[in-house]
Amino acid sequence: MNSHIEDLMGKTIKHALTNGADFAEAKGEDTTTRNIEAVNKETRTVSQVRNIGIGIRAFCGKANGFSFSNMLNEENVFHAAETAVKIANASSKKTLMKMKLAEVKAVQEKRSTNVAKHPKDVSLDEKKDLCFRQCQTAMEAGKQIANVRSLFGEYYGTIFYANSEGTSVAYEPLLVGLTVSCVAKKGELIVDARDAHGGTAGLTAFEEEKHTPEKMAENAAKWALEKLKAKPAPAGKFDAVIDQSLAGVLAHESFGHLSEADFVVVGGSPLTGRIGQKLGTDIVSIVDEGLPQNGGYSVHFDDEGVPCSRVEILKNGVLTHFLQNRLTARVLKMEPTGNARSQDYSFEPIVRMRNTYFASGDRKPEEALSELKQGIYAIDTAGGQVQETGTFLFKAIRGYWVENGEKKYPLRDVALTGNILELLKNVEAVCNDLELHSTPFGGCGKIEQRAFVGTGGPHMRIKNVQFGGAR
Amino acid sequence: MEEQLKSVGNKAMNHAQKLGALEAEIFLYIENHTSVKFVGGIFASRSKAIKGLKGTFARIAEPWIKKKGIPIVSSGTKAGVGVRAVINKAIGFSSVSSLEETKVLEAVEEAVKIAKIRPPDPNWISLPDPKTPNEKGGIFDNKIADLSADRILEMSANCCTAAGDYDKRIMQAMSMITADSLTWGIVNTKGIEVFDKGTAFSAYVGTKAKSKGEEVSSGDFLISRTLTENVTPIAVSASKRTVECFGKRTLPEKHVGPVVFENESWAQLFAVIFTAGISGYNVQENRSVLKDKLSQKVAEEKVSILDDGTLPEGIGTAKMDDEGVPRQKTPIIEKGVLTSFLYDNYSARRESRESTGNSSRRRDPVAAYSNQPMIRPSNMILEPGARSLEALIGEVKNGVLVKGSLIGAGHSNVVTGDFSVTADNAFKIENGAVAYPLKACSVAGNLYQALNSIVAIGNDSRTFGSVINPSVAIEKIVAST
Repeated sequence: MNSHIEDLMGKTIKHALTNGADFAEAKGEDTTTRNIEAVNKETRTVSQVRNIGIGIRAFCGKANGFSFSNMLNEENVFHAAETAVKIANASSKKTLMKMKLAEVKAVQEKRSTNVAKHPKDVSLDEKKDLCFRQCQTAMEAGKQIANVRSLFGEYYGTIFYANSEGTSVAYEPLLVGLTVSCVAKKGELIVDARDAHGGTAGLTAFEEEKHTPEKMAENAAKWALEKLKAKPAPAGKFDAVIDQSLAGVLAHESFGHLSEADFVVVGGSPLTGRIGQKLGTDIVSIVDEGLPQNGGYSVHFDDEGVPCSRVEILKNGVLTHFLQNRLTARVLKMEPTGNARSQDYSFEPIVRMRNTYFASGDRKPEEALSELKQGIYAIDTAGGQVQETGTFLFKAIRGYWVENGEKKYPLRDVALTGNILELLKNVEAVCNDLELHSTPFGGCGKIEQRAFVGTGGPHMRIKNVQFGGAR
Repeated sequence: MEEQLKSVGNKAMNHAQKLGALEAEIFLYIENHTSVKFVGGIFASRSKAIKGLKGTFARIAEPWIKKKGIPIVSSGTKAGVGVRAVINKAIGFSSVSSLEETKVLEAVEEAVKIAKIRPPDPNWISLPDPKTPNEKGGIFDNKIADLSADRILEMSANCCTAAGDYDKRIMQAMSMITADSLTWGIVNTKGIEVFDKGTAFSAYVGTKAKSKGEEVSSGDFLISRTLTENVTPIAVSASKRTVECFGKRTLPEKHVGPVVFENESWAQLFAVIFTAGISGYNVQENRSVLKDKLSQKVAEEKVSILDDGTLPEGIGTAKMDDEGVPRQKTPIIEKGVLTSFLYDNYSARRESRESTGNSSRRRDPVAAYSNQPMIRPSNMILEPGARSLEALIGEVKNGVLVKGSLIGAGHSNVVTGDFSVTADNAFKIENGAVAYPLKACSVAGNLYQALNSIVAIGNDSRTFGSVINPSVAIEKIVAST
């Protein structure tokens, strides 16, 4: 299958070398994305997007050039190769420093993804029913549920990579996701809550007890109704317990981006020059890897053909690694980690995360909560703002006020602010309930490119977290 | 190119009908896109940032970010089709980034499958009927189509140099230039078969300056259907706009009064909020305050707004919209009175009227063929007044001038028209003249109330993608620092 794409990639690489490239690489892909949206049990959108094409990068002299085509015949892809070489030659005159790649061993390997109930083998009707089942359950949960929206998404296909050093790899990406959000209304008060699950898996993922469409809808509806009775979170500094989802977003957004080596190389990251320094308490470790054991989105090779390794960015509180592509690894004299990724064949690879999470600890989640004398249990987030300095503002979707280890009442408008480098020093407990999630809706954005990522962590207890401060 | 697209389109359409589609529409699209981003880096000799780095990192970082900087260049071709198949009032959409027959036919099969699992949409009547297409579309400039990546790289590098040369306090410059040439068309089972082509060129320069511990930034840009050979004036202007922000102060008190919006700042609010408010679909779905306001006064008499899809130099100009309906002129507000909303085929048929040719699939950075059509203005023009921006400022005794890009315009409430944004390039106006620059200035108001209290409209119209507008002076807006 798809030997046509691989065949063209090989010819294109040769053509680039013939035209004067010192090194050439190509990414090919044939991927499919499907989305189903249902609102109150009415199908709103059903769409499919298939993405096929080849991107080529050529290195000449001091620089490189990138081009692409999805008209998959020799004339067009050869033209792309020539364009890439021309750009590299022109850029070479404008660059002072030679951009070279770190050396890696050539790899030839193909990996397939075999799961039960792969979305490509399941009918559209069955997928639509996942959304309908969510709507049905949530709509029946109470009169105050005003609106229910369910989204199903899937992404799968094949990604190829080859270069002039003899590397030739391929793998089959797969991502499925199901999300339900409920809006509840009482008088003027409008609140919402959601539950979501997703990752590299077949549709059996939604047969597990915790993640059946009914269970997720029941949760989202219950949490939305509970929020109608919630009090706004108090502002000020409190000790806090955060759940797995919120931990994951903190690991990715506020810390992970700082550890991307392209940001480090230009001195833009506050982590620049701090390898070996103790940044967090002994119990804090942050990992980024392509193939985690506990869920998330599987990335086998990056878009420079480098196998994705497990990177312990922070190990027992000490900064040990950055996330590298072959260019930054060469500059920093470190090992490439398989973090070069592109949105699709039409974008050049840049340093990106894969699955970023706080590693598991040894405490039980009940203990972490029972030891919280007075504070806030903050759960899940729909996003926030982060700055290059590590300063963040996240809005948790919901939360509880806790006294003597007991949840007293639900909270809404729970916003956390602070700086990740200070927060890491205040982590007091890390639990053993690590969970990773990924979603086909959106993904992480960086320099006009999007990428699917996984995030996660265990429950954690952190002292002195600033709450409030949202405008 | 057009012949190839036509042949693919007709085969796809026939295939859809064979599979049981009552109606089918094929959108075909080829894009040649080149983009150059030149991070002019930190101008090394002036940089404290570099001196602040120690040891190995200074040695590593310096060459990367010295004078000449890092170019990021990409150039290539994307082609594909978007298919809509209709069975019993249910629409299926599928797209593929390919013009190869087998892949296109697979996409058609998928669209038909999707249509079959959907319930009927009672508001669906049919695809658009063919009409006499406009003779002329927008401009196709061969100079853009033939522009090489290395020529753009040269232009982009020159911008960074010019930006740095303007003032020694400029620490960093970034320029981004893109050139696009497109060919696209629509065929449908109602008999529509129209094709067009066009070009676009855009340039942006952003600069950062530092002096005495104060850091300021701004930028400038242009967008046009024809090639602008010399783009360095944009770079000079970007630096000028940056250094004029030095010496920022706070407002003595919260300002509730006249605010002058420079054309660029106004365009951001206008594009986000007004575009949503005049969408026929949003009106039908009860998501616009302009609902039930037709033939009523919704703005000051000096306000006239027109959507003109036939303006030769307009970015949104074409022979037809993205469903094959001819582009046209639609007056939206005439002398303050609301005259029409904008419609695509779906929303127009829903109330038995004609589409205004405002269907669009263009939503960067995703290729147009992957998107389903929605209502967008073609070129939405706020008609200019007679006076210059200086004259507008000259009439304000105590006020604020908002310039440049606004943070948060995209988060405006498009239903009510409320906005709350931060302007990094704002100035205090005292006695008809710019007095001093302001620290991050929060500006809050309501676009529809603003249209009802416009004091003056400038004569400095500029094109900002799908909107064309001059600067405006508003009677009462809240600003604070």
